[in-house]
Amino acid sequence: MPPATEIVTLMVNGDRREVGVPGHYTLLEALRYGLGLTGSKQGCDKGDCGACTVLMDGEPTLSCITPIREADGRRIVTVEGLGTARGPHPLQDEFDLHGAAQCGFCTPGILCSAAALLARSTNPSREEIREALSGNLCRCTGYTKIYEAVEAAAARMRDNG
Amino acid sequence: MLRLPPFSYHRPATLDEAVSLLGEHAGDVLPVAGGTDLIPNMKHRLFEPGHLVALRGIAELSGIRRENGCLRIGAAETLASVARDADVKKHVPSLADAAAHVAGPQIRNAATLGGNLCLETRCTYYNQTAFWRGALGYCLKKDGTVCHVTKVGKKCVAAHSADTPPVLMTLDAVAVLEGPRGRREIPVRDFFVADGIANTRRETGEIVIEVRIPLESSSRRAAYAKLRQRNAIDFPLLTVAVSVDLEDDGSTVRSITGVVTALGSRPRELSGWGEVAEGHALDEDVVWELAERAYKQCHPLENIIVDPDWRRAMVPVYVRRALEKLRA
Amino acid sequence: MAKSQSDFHFIGKPQRKIEGLEKSSGRALYADDIRLPGMLHGKILRSPYPHARIVSIDTSAAEALEGVHGVVTGRDMPTTYGIIPWTPDEYPLALDRVRYVGDGVAAVAAVDEDTAIRALDLIRVEYEELPAFPDPVSALRADGSTPYVHDAEKEGRNGNVTKHVHMEFGDVDGLMETSEVVVEGEYFFEGTTHTPIEPHCAIGLWQPDGSRRDGLGEPTRDERGDGTGADSGPRTGSGKLTVWSATQVPHYLHRELARVLDVDPARVRVIQPLVGGAFGGKSEPFDLEFCVAKLAMKTGRPVKILYTREEVFYAHRGRHPFHMRYRTGCDTGGRLKSVDAEIVLDGGAYASFGLVTTYYSGQLLCAPYAMPAYRFDSTRVYTNKPACGPKRGHGSVQPRFAFEVQMDKLAERVGLDPVDMRRINFIGENTRTVNELRITSNGFLECLDAVERASGWRDKFRKLPFGRGVGVAGSTYISGTNYPIYPNRMPQSAVQMQIDRSGRVAVFSGASEIGQGCDSVVAYVAAEELGVPLEHVRVYRGDTDFTPVDLGAYSSRVTFMLGNAAIQAARKLRQMVQQAVAEEWDVKPGEVLLAGGRAMWAPDTERQMSTREAFNLAEAKFGTLGARGWYDTPKDVHGDYRGGTIGASPAYSFTAHVAEVEVDVETGFVDVKKIWVAHDCGRALNPVLVEGQMEGSAYMGFAEALMEEQVFKDTDHGRAGLHDGPSLLDYRIPTSMDTPELESLIIESIDPEGPYGAKEAGEGPLHPSIPAIANAIYDAVGVRMDRLPFSPPAVWREIQAARGAGTLRKPPC
Ligand SMILES: Cc1cc2nc3c(=O)[nH]c(=O)nc-3n(C[C@H](O)[C@H](O)[C@H](O)COP(=O)(O)OP(=O)(O)OC[C@H]3O[C@@H](n4cnc5c(N)ncnc54)[C@H](O)[C@@H]3O)c2cc1C
Ligand code: SF4
Ligand code: FES
Ligand code: FES
Repeated sequence: MPPATEIVTLMVNGDRREVGVPGHYTLLEALRYGLGLTGSKQGCDKGDCGACTVLMDGEPTLSCITPIREADGRRIVTVEGLGTARGPHPLQDEFDLHGAAQCGFCTPGILCSAAALLARSTNPSREEIREALSGNLCRCTGYTKIYEAVEAAAARMRDNG
Repeated sequence: MLRLPPFSYHRPATLDEAVSLLGEHAGDVLPVAGGTDLIPNMKHRLFEPGHLVALRGIAELSGIRRENGCLRIGAAETLASVARDADVKKHVPSLADAAAHVAGPQIRNAATLGGNLCLETRCTYYNQTAFWRGALGYCLKKDGTVCHVTKVGKKCVAAHSADTPPVLMTLDAVAVLEGPRGRREIPVRDFFVADGIANTRRETGEIVIEVRIPLESSSRRAAYAKLRQRNAIDFPLLTVAVSVDLEDDGSTVRSITGVVTALGSRPRELSGWGEVAEGHALDEDVVWELAERAYKQCHPLENIIVDPDWRRAMVPVYVRRALEKLRA
Repeated sequence: MAKSQSDFHFIGKPQRKIEGLEKSSGRALYADDIRLPGMLHGKILRSPYPHARIVSIDTSAAEALEGVHGVVTGRDMPTTYGIIPWTPDEYPLALDRVRYVGDGVAAVAAVDEDTAIRALDLIRVEYEELPAFPDPVSALRADGSTPYVHDAEKEGRNGNVTKHVHMEFGDVDGLMETSEVVVEGEYFFEGTTHTPIEPHCAIGLWQPDGSRRDGLGEPTRDERGDGTGADSGPRTGSGKLTVWSATQVPHYLHRELARVLDVDPARVRVIQPLVGGAFGGKSEPFDLEFCVAKLAMKTGRPVKILYTREEVFYAHRGRHPFHMRYRTGCDTGGRLKSVDAEIVLDGGAYASFGLVTTYYSGQLLCAPYAMPAYRFDSTRVYTNKPACGPKRGHGSVQPRFAFEVQMDKLAERVGLDPVDMRRINFIGENTRTVNELRITSNGFLECLDAVERASGWRDKFRKLPFGRGVGVAGSTYISGTNYPIYPNRMPQSAVQMQIDRSGRVAVFSGASEIGQGCDSVVAYVAAEELGVPLEHVRVYRGDTDFTPVDLGAYSSRVTFMLGNAAIQAARKLRQMVQQAVAEEWDVKPGEVLLAGGRAMWAPDTERQMSTREAFNLAEAKFGTLGARGWYDTPKDVHGDYRGGTIGASPAYSFTAHVAEVEVDVETGFVDVKKIWVAHDCGRALNPVLVEGQMEGSAYMGFAEALMEEQVFKDTDHGRAGLHDGPSLLDYRIPTSMDTPELESLIIESIDPEGPYGAKEAGEGPLHPSIPAIANAIYDAVGVRMDRLPFSPPAVWREIQAARGAGTLRKPPC
């Protein structure tokens, strides 16, 4: 990491974290290399692939093109923060059950996009799921298993109220 | 990684503060809104400002509201909020449609309407890494002396590639700017100039603070169509926006406008449409004739890597498709 | 007798992957997630010229920059390498010549990436530009008046030819002459690249004091680099090199690192973290791996290099562009008589797997259809572009496209339904192909039946309205190659398995997990054979220091070979456990069942104990329990002619697809509505994983069919040899909004030699997507797409031409 010039406060996965970073770091770099939260991935580093998607104030955001100061004071949820101590988020479990993560590299970003969708609606149509994930490239699955996993997680969330 | 060059990031709370920061660092500063255009460009070393002035979070630049017969959209409103706003959907659905077709969902959550209006022009020889441009030998727009598209000429013809400006033009929208010399308004129609290096009339230090769209009581209808290869993420290969005002009979055209973009450095307002359509119903013959006129006026360049003959042939097709939406 | 499904507890049933939750929780570690204390960051300086001589390199200013710890150039590693031992034509960094825009020239290690980038700018390289060969036509025409891409091996030869293969089986000319129907066509398959979402990444660690105190890759405190080892270079006789890399071939990387860097292989360790997609794009050593190793040796500090997305496009090794000409003859009944192919492969700047690709371009075509006579003539040519290599369906996707379109044309000429055309030419089971490859299990007819039924083919073919259509295609692929890349007689795959008194099973597997699920497969095998719950199985993997050698994830070899090795090891352990329990109960060992965490007596299953107790008995009886299993291929499965071993596999998978499309004749957009994918994978060890491979393959084929092209600028457009747009924005891969509905239909032929009857599923199901879509476009609008990709402009141009010629219509029945 180049010399830190700024101290930024992030509300990451429920924790208030202060992190000293170079001012020209992106949110992705701060998470991965500043805080050791390596769950969020980098596939293009310029907004084209969605691998770095995190939730910023609840909205799916590309952390690779978010200047770190823009995230200062905001609520960030990464893949590491989707589950709870009691267990994984239904999406995470269903991704496993449906084989929706092959190499798993797109998975953290896709889970964040899907989590935001399910926070809005626990009964999304296949079309709405496709639309919600349209900024996340997956090279392994052909997306089919991903849709099935999101649908199963939605059903589980409906059942659990 | 694609490292960003170093910069200081300022997050002013007020518009005044923002304007003075831009003045203070003049020559070494750029405003940044969603950053979805500027940050990738900085990673490509197309811009290396020492200071960035953030526009998100400035109250004067936010909000979507109806006021004095206008819809006012703050320049820092995201395209996602524009696309889902009830007033936008109700009164200017073609704008909601255009906003919803920009890039992918995450980008729309950050990208702003102001940024879309001020989007840098794009070119296959320009939107590349520093290494790549070095291997090319650079080009006129940045660091070089030749244009690889026109080969001759001392003019950059990089493509205006934003989706919403053509729509805003057909809606008679006005951009409101604030700068060191105060506030001024420019109709979006007059906002662009045909220069790929700097294609707007915005002066350095000026900030677009809002866009105003007159909500006429008349029966104006507008539509938008976008050509792109993938159904998400991709920039337009062609954007068509049309609007029509109908007489009280609900079918005769009072006035009509069409704008296309992603060809040259500014959105092109199609000429000669009035004489074809005004006073007539928008029937199939008229639609075809309008499309034919569009075709004659549009000459895509190889500033985008995709087959220019095909892109040209798509002009009348997409013009018709946009007009068909009006008829529906 | 093949076991039926109900005889299994794990095999054949949907199961979680062992690392599934790790991946979905974000805990999974990939190469760039690893950070070592004191680690430096490296960057590689790349050539801006497609072809040039390096006159001089001055690194002094870079070396003097504060924060820079080491710089290396080609001179530091002047040994050639290449994945194929007969064609070592690459240096880790260019020595005196660069051959494509992006060729590595020098590398820097610095305290951070920013400093490394600044240092690259300070390296002065003087080049003397040479005329470049941008395409195979110019490369083949070369006469030596300017330097070839590689110097000719012999005086008078064209150095631009990597390999020429000419093979003939049967009386091609005679049978062509007597064929009642002959179709001739020219085809072009544009190059495409793998585009895994994870960019390549490697970390090098040099421990000058050797390798005696190693944990699992965690350097201990005093091994933290502090700069004291700087410039010491490799000390022969001591020191240990560890490289973490996102590679598909840790074993080959291990070999090449040792050879090129001149370190005893016993002192080299390669660790493969989880890999974020590969598809053939990480199946040979790359410059970054040598550079991190050399820079670590030179600086005494760990060094990481992470490719940018742009560099991934330059590293390439993707699908070769193929220029193909096919003549295919059949009788009036549609029976194939003779096939004649001429192929030019555009190889790019280095050989990579090219020698194999050249053979594969012909050798893998001889099933699933019987062909009495077959000839192919293939030439791989060097050009000044990033090197091509193996991409999913290596070498056979391109000819399969051409051939299956030829089949469609023939079917129309003889008036046969294209599904029937394929049926009547079925080669059968337990037979040999015209080029003498041994075919065992073969479920191709069932595949055809399945897609025909599921797609409603009979109601759709030639019957959908103009603009909509269906197309069919079939294919075959290898389940591993019979021979390793370098000649040797050692096993191709192996595992070691241990059980202990705690009840757990530990498997040490050298196989490369790249997302396809092979770590899980060994766990399923262990659980199945030893009767333990899956949670009791641990798979240790991807580390050459403690796993036996496996050759890597390529040629669809892993499930077949690793599965067999795992079964062998597990059964050895099972027998010991059965024997110990049998002794305790005083029954026959064969009557002891292991399942569901219990050992049971078959005649009276009330009599039981936990597997843990059973393992205790076994450990007491035999001492510490461990077993080895390995697999090597049968050697009598191919023809006895030069090149006859290439394409030989212990088993072949078979696939059929039907694609349904809608063509927008105004724009040329092809909307693929759905692809039905039927695939004979032998046995689906875990149907969820098999379907995932089928869908992912069909998706990737669809992507190549419609949008992907790895292309370069020419002299009229900037600089020849410059990548058209090395980014995920310009190189378009399909989003969720583009990808068609995919339906997987698993066909199980139960292969006699496969693990539980399994074959492969990871590559075969890619092939037919492309010709099925081409044939569907023809059914929709009567336009033949003989060139890839079927991008809107290309389709639109063909439609315009057909409209002009009056042939834009539904083809006749
Ligand atoms: C993968 C990808 C796909 C994309 N696809 C599309 C697409 O399909 N269609 C499309 O239109 N765009 C697309 N974009 C570009 C971009 O995301 C949008 O145009 C977006 O609206 C830009 O807004 P922003 O707020 O992010 O702009 P920024 O990046 O913040 O700014 C863009 C430029 O405008 C200036 N600026 C921003 N706001 C103001 C203001 N209020 N006053 C004065 N100057 C200002 C900045 O200085 C900068 O020069 C894409 C981008 C990416 C990375
Ligand atoms: S149009 Fe010409 S000058 Fe402008 S960016 Fe493209 S190549 Fe450069
Ligand atoms: S890494 Fe952020 S979009 Fe690709
Ligand atoms: S699972 Fe590999 S990229 Fe999506």
